[in-house]
Amino acid sequence: MKKQQKTKRPPGVCIPWQEKLKELPKISGDKELVQKVWQNIDALGYMYIWQCLLSF
Amino acid sequence: MAKDMEQLYQQRLKRYVAAMRNEKSDMIPIRPFVAEFTAKYAGYTCQEVTHDYEKAFAAARKCAADFDWDAVVSNMVYVWTGLTEAIGLKYYGVPGISIPPTTGFQYIEPPEEKAFMKPDEYDQLIEDPTGFLYNVWLPRVSADVSAMGQPTSFRNNLSFLKGGMAMLTYFNAFGKQNELLHTESGTVSAIAGILKAPFDIIADKLRGYLGLVTDVLERPDKVLAACEALMPHLTHVALSGADPDKNVPIGYWMHRGCVPFFSMEHFKRFYWPTFKPIVEEIWAHGHQVLFYAEGNWDAHLDSFAELPDQSIVYHVDHGDIFKVHKVLGEKFCISGGIPNWLLATGTPADVRDYCKKVIDGVAGNGGYIMDASAIVQNDAKVENIKAMTEFTRDYGVY
Repeated sequence: MKKQQKTKRPPGVCIPWQEKLKELPKISGDKELVQKVWQNIDALGYMYIWQCLLSF
Repeated sequence: MAKDMEQLYQQRLKRYVAAMRNEKSDMIPIRPFVAEFTAKYAGYTCQEVTHDYEKAFAAARKCAADFDWDAVVSNMVYVWTGLTEAIGLKYYGVPGISIPPTTGFQYIEPPEEKAFMKPDEYDQLIEDPTGFLYNVWLPRVSADVSAMGQPTSFRNNLSFLKGGMAMLTYFNAFGKQNELLHTESGTVSAIAGILKAPFDIIADKLRGYLGLVTDVLERPDKVLAACEALMPHLTHVALSGADPDKNVPIGYWMHRGCVPFFSMEHFKRFYWPTFKPIVEEIWAHGHQVLFYAEGNWDAHLDSFAELPDQSIVYHVDHGDIFKVHKVLGEKFCISGGIPNWLLATGTPADVRDYCKKVIDGVAGNGGYIMDASAIVQNDAKVENIKAMTEFTRDYGVY
């Protein structure tokens, strides 16, 4: 499928991790854990608006 | 769960899946898309099943337990108006509030000049679809959400909190509902996930049908680019809700992209090139798509025939099911074709005759699922639904 070019927000994403990462101090612990949890919860925000559009 | 109930479930699942793979099983599976009919049968009003999803779930389970059906949609009265009211969505006629409690919910399209997306906003949508939906679209469709740059409010803040929690509660409840359908009546949950075509969604929720009719003539490149921008998102949402076991299909609800709502030229320029790759991508992941061809899509059967074998199930509403079978029957399973008007106004004998005609015409080699033409609402007679079910069980044995 044709890929979107230079998209701000790819599918499944509202606030990209790289954008959030810039706001955080240097992560002293498990960076991957912080990233994973951020992305999982961010995906709920994505699903909310697209389900509003498609299902409701 | 009783062992015989599990056996019944497995038997029905096998039968349903075999038909969807365009194969022949022991008998024709029955999978009626019963919506407000469930309320009528279970003794609820449309308001009750639309506004209280637990009652909708209970009504669906009661029908599943009382009729010998292989699969049903867990809740075909899908739009829970408790949720839409919590968000403040403006585009619904809500049973018991703005329309009579005995009428099914309605979608209200705004007049062209009040479309939820303006004709000069295509670039914003194309650049960032998700941002556009949150920042521009949602404040227009919700009575509570504040527009960007406007003062926020208590109602604005609550809309997101209540809407998000309500949506999560509702979606999570489907897991339990599907489990109860399985254990109480051995019934398969018929579909999983949702898909709409980019072109349809622009007409349905953004520009409106009349707005899009204008746009395909006045700004066709923008329309095409917007469809392309929506493609990866609609694919992602569809796959996110798909059946992890890859048994049941993703429901694809087809609206107004066909002739005569649009010309064949427009279908081939906008609709099909931006939808076909979505189906191919989903099929590459191992999921079928159920084409719920509301209205009459017969003019486009040759396009649908381009798709890979078994990649879709094609549901017939007002189309000519015998023509559909001729064009698509070698490649895909077909469902539906029993007219809703017949179920509402005919006699059981009429229904049996029509079912025989359809079964004789399209089901001989398997690959057919018995169903009404469109979702079954509260105008259908109970005795006619029984006749459709019982006749298919008696006559539809291979």
